[in-house]
Amino acid sequence: MESSLIPIVTVPEVATVVEIRDEIDEVKTFYFSFDRPEIEQAFKVRSGQFIMCTVFGAGEFAVSLPFSPENDRKHISVRRVGKVTAALHELQPGDKIGVRGPFGNGFPFEEIKGKNIIYVAGGIGLIPLRSSIVHVLQHRPEFGRVILVYGARSSRDLMYKESIREWKATENFETYFTIDRPEPGWNGEVGFVNQLVAKINLPAENTVAFVCGPPVMFNSVIKELKLKGLKEGHIYSTLERHMKCGIGKCQHCAIGRTLVCVDGPVYTYKQIKTLGEQI
Amino acid sequence: MYWLEQSQVEILMNKLAESYELFGPRRDEVSGEVIFDRLGNPRQLDLSAPIPYNPPKYILFPHYEEILKYRYDRKTKKVALERINHLKPKALVGLRACDLNGLMCLDRFFLGQEFVDEVYLEHRKKLFLISNTCVRPFPQCFCVCTDSGPAAREGFDLDLTRVGERYLVEVGSKKGQKMVEELGLKEAGAEAAGLKKKVVDESVSSFDALALENKAWISRATNRLTTGFIKPEVWEYIGQQCFECGACSFVCPTCSCFNVEDVNRLDGTTDRVRTWDSCSFEGYTKMAGDHNPRKPVEDRRNKRFFCKLSYSQSKKYLRPGCVGCGRCARVCPGDIGLPNVVTYIRREITGE
Amino acid sequence: MSYYRGVCNFCGTGCGHLLQVEEGRVRGVYPLPGHPLSQGRLCVRGWHIHELLQTEERITSAFIRENGQLRQVSLNEALDFVAKKLQRLSGEEIAFLASPRASNEDNYLFGKFARAVMKSNNLSLASDAGQEESARVLLEGCGWPAATGSLSRLKQADFILVAGGDLTKQNPIVASEIHRARRAGAFVATISPRKTQMARLSRLHLRPAPGSMSLVVEALARIIYEQKKYNLEYLTERTENHQAYLSHLESLNLEEILALTGVALEALTELAGKLSAAKLAYVFYPTGVQSLDRRTMAALFNLMLMTGKLGQGEGGIIPVTGISNLLGSYDMGLSPTFLPGYLEASDENNCRKLETLWETKISRTPGRSVSASLAENKSLRALMVVDHDEEIIRQVNRIKELELVVYFGAYQNAFARLANVIIPRPSYAEADGTYTNFERRVQLNRQKVKPLAEVQPLWKILSSLARALGHDWQYESAEQVMAEISRVVPQYAALTYEKLESSLGLKWPVDEIHPEGTDYLLPEQKKAKFRFVLEEKTLSQPTIIREPEADFPFKLTVGRSNYFWHQNSVMKRTFIPKREYNALLLLYPKGFVEISAEDASRLKLREKQPVRVISPSAEITLAARISPDVLPGQLYIPYFVEEMIPEFLLRQVAELEKSEEYFLPVRLEKVG
Repeated sequence: MESSLIPIVTVPEVATVVEIRDEIDEVKTFYFSFDRPEIEQAFKVRSGQFIMCTVFGAGEFAVSLPFSPENDRKHISVRRVGKVTAALHELQPGDKIGVRGPFGNGFPFEEIKGKNIIYVAGGIGLIPLRSSIVHVLQHRPEFGRVILVYGARSSRDLMYKESIREWKATENFETYFTIDRPEPGWNGEVGFVNQLVAKINLPAENTVAFVCGPPVMFNSVIKELKLKGLKEGHIYSTLERHMKCGIGKCQHCAIGRTLVCVDGPVYTYKQIKTLGEQI
Repeated sequence: MYWLEQSQVEILMNKLAESYELFGPRRDEVSGEVIFDRLGNPRQLDLSAPIPYNPPKYILFPHYEEILKYRYDRKTKKVALERINHLKPKALVGLRACDLNGLMCLDRFFLGQEFVDEVYLEHRKKLFLISNTCVRPFPQCFCVCTDSGPAAREGFDLDLTRVGERYLVEVGSKKGQKMVEELGLKEAGAEAAGLKKKVVDESVSSFDALALENKAWISRATNRLTTGFIKPEVWEYIGQQCFECGACSFVCPTCSCFNVEDVNRLDGTTDRVRTWDSCSFEGYTKMAGDHNPRKPVEDRRNKRFFCKLSYSQSKKYLRPGCVGCGRCARVCPGDIGLPNVVTYIRREITGE
Repeated sequence: MSYYRGVCNFCGTGCGHLLQVEEGRVRGVYPLPGHPLSQGRLCVRGWHIHELLQTEERITSAFIRENGQLRQVSLNEALDFVAKKLQRLSGEEIAFLASPRASNEDNYLFGKFARAVMKSNNLSLASDAGQEESARVLLEGCGWPAATGSLSRLKQADFILVAGGDLTKQNPIVASEIHRARRAGAFVATISPRKTQMARLSRLHLRPAPGSMSLVVEALARIIYEQKKYNLEYLTERTENHQAYLSHLESLNLEEILALTGVALEALTELAGKLSAAKLAYVFYPTGVQSLDRRTMAALFNLMLMTGKLGQGEGGIIPVTGISNLLGSYDMGLSPTFLPGYLEASDENNCRKLETLWETKISRTPGRSVSASLAENKSLRALMVVDHDEEIIRQVNRIKELELVVYFGAYQNAFARLANVIIPRPSYAEADGTYTNFERRVQLNRQKVKPLAEVQPLWKILSSLARALGHDWQYESAEQVMAEISRVVPQYAALTYEKLESSLGLKWPVDEIHPEGTDYLLPEQKKAKFRFVLEEKTLSQPTIIREPEADFPFKLTVGRSNYFWHQNSVMKRTFIPKREYNALLLLYPKGFVEISAEDASRLKLREKQPVRVISPSAEITLAARISPDVLPGQLYIPYFVEEMIPEFLLRQVAELEKSEEYFLPVRLEKVG
């Protein structure tokens, strides 16, 4: 699926925030649509891409796009963590934001048709993976087994609770959820994500995995997946970096010989190991 | 090729001044040092002045530049966006080969990768470039180690080489050809190419005697930097001497990292500003939250020289990222400019 | 052209730079090659001064506060208002806080306004830690109040000692000069309790326990005395009281000192050997942002004097000022006890001479510093403040009680909230002015950009005020103010703008004998006698350092060099320096206390875990930061954390601020 770019890569396109939803602590989802109808028409993304979002008067920040390329409301889910995201959280429906993009290589889609897919997410790591999950589910018959393993610190920290309810009820979608510590009212698994991965029956042949979460979770999950027989070149992740331009010029996002905004943000674990610097 | 007499230099400058703002090397009255600066008066141009202390990159990659202005009215929800673009055409006269090579690196980086940077393109479209062969090296130079001098091979509109009392002019573009014709310069005969080669050869052979400050065995270091086979102690030794000032990036003709900030002005508008940034700084890779993937100073030094000399980076520039101008060595408070670093890496390799 | 020569205005190094000015605005900066001191280098602050100079967070017009609200007024109305109030005030009722960043011309007239117009001797500077003590020690010892040598031959030095502070952060280019000297073969040693970058770049690093640096220096002198590596003839001929000093050294108990300081005998012996053998020796210590106590400065002076390294060419004692015009401010007499030119204010002859020059009487009532006035003077009713450098304001409550607070500022600043009258000032690029760096180099910085209409240089505003109060001040330009300075301040006697324009600064004294200034004076004074700087305390047994009490086993030192700049009102207006200097503090937004790895593991403290730091009189909760730069038993807090000032350190602020040699005994308790 090709993506189309906003015409001038250094000037933001104006979009309106149509709805804001509180997700988990400090995280809100902002649904938006472009002001110019021709852009609204033409804007196409690949799952796993990101945009540079301008909060007028505060600044710009990079944020991954969690929506599927097809039939999915455009939105971003952002945690309040710095000056610009704090200003974003002050916005109301009707306020304007600026969008540049979409940028980045995105998750593989055509290339993985016919394969089994394992999604492993921790905490807000589910946000970028959501775009791929929804897109794959929209084309369910074209893929093998599709599995989601998702964990968070507590049930309150699980993202996209509405989508989770839907997915639990979806046929042919094997979902497993876990929280770190037991809670009254929680009937699911308890423990860390990598422990859950170790327990489940997972395919190894003809399988790819998408892993996204905090660094500590990342390493332990990769270990388990490799033990299950997955190859390093078939495990994908999406990397985050401080970004200022999104178009490969400011070089803030450089890791070794790669620029995360143009060569990434999606890399296989095999590539990550040879980047030349720690992530 | 053509001949340009001494007396015609001013005519050339005046002709350029009709359509361009003039930039070139001038000498500061009090300190005697050479600065590549805007020339209010064409006679300020000093083509025989040594390599200027500053590279000309600020002319097309400004130190502080507003790239966008917007106004967002929260009450009416109206956004007005404006690209700031009042750029005048500029003529850069007397570029040294190293600086011209640096400019070409910036061209390839900003214009020749996945995206074309429109901001840089606007500046670049309006330039007229006249290079000036170095008939002798200066103490800090080592362009022969980086294949970027003493004469420019391409990228110029006109190239000047001083032969005796006059200049041989080589044309490098249609714009240059047009200028030559408008000035009515005399064509040089068949001996011209040989004369230029003689001047360049003499310049190259005087490096040993005159370019005493820096030597850099780049090729040896390039291999090690690309593969990463350098002991951490070497980087720690280098990192300890880093004063984290950013000067190396700011004076380097090929460095182009920048920071982007939205600055609110008193009249209610906001300017999106690009300013020079440097990977030397700790805050350069710091993300909102706590994570900083390149915190220790030795890692930042490693990254810088990887960026300058590794094969993978050279692919972007189509040549090594260093042009041998020697400025980083002059401006570094810790004495760890590129030539010294290459020496430290070499010593580790050869055990000297 | 676009690039104009100028002088950086951040720290006391005074590096030369080129400001890029386009269409009336400063757009960029570049180092000035060929500047005799900076030689084409700048630090991260200097490289981003154009970011500061582009900010719109300026005070652009005058304001008067009425009923708690600020009302914008014309400059004339504000000056009328101030003049009327000042008419009803006596010298005792007003105090003057000057900025060490303002030019000599501004500072000179500010001092003259205080003394000649308002008849007040209550004037002092912000951010001047240790500067006055340093001046006094040097005056007492050799008759000159500032750097006895200059850096022009630093590369030929064979011995350099850096005592205290964090020079690579406070004056990076000076540290760079020392680093280059080391690479050229000099023996560089650092004495500091913390492992600073300067310490890492030195050949030898002595880490005395906090509060014991003076003992280390005296021990060095004692070792040199024992080994007879000094010239008794020289001492007899050139010094007045060497006997007293040598007896004092004799009386020291070296073993006790080694035990108290924790320094090894071998290291001291090596250092002593290198110093006594050196042909050209330098000692650097910081002032302004952070400093040493008087006793340590005196010990360093005495050491250099005894070994004959003073007056020996360009070497000697170099106090390094942390703020751009700190030295110049003292040259202009911005202190209750010094008149312009370092003349004692308590000497009747000096007062009479000044009265003759100024054609007006000045008061003989001894003055107090501003913080002393605020703390002790019950009759204080007014305060005049110039560009308060720090964000955190001391003695806020007392200031709120005053009837009149006038703030002359260029940048919006928290202090303005306390002011009744706010008067705008130009930034340093918007007015002519001279600034004196730590080397005594007076440099001229020409105006590069026009200020806004209502913004006038301080010297001009003060002239208007003086005229309104009946004094006929008719200065037309900064140059004219300098002309008067040259008549009043002996060290500036032959300085003119013309000379400064055609040079890159001249080192005072610039007078008849030295029309182009001088690198070093002491060797010339062949007949002059030097003195060892001794105090009652020094002559008796060395006082035992206050041992931490059992209940308060840790020694807490408070530092400023690294983090002084992060809350500084000029740094806040930059992008990158603010990002860099904040980098550490953003990780610990409520402040941190540095603790060694050994102590942390002994107390089972995790990184970032909150701890209560408890002193005999107060406590504060901070995050723990495990650092290799502190030794076991020591704790370190970067000073400028807002909550600390009123609650925790207020009572000890004065001591801790002046010298890093003071420490607080504290204990730690885990929270939760």
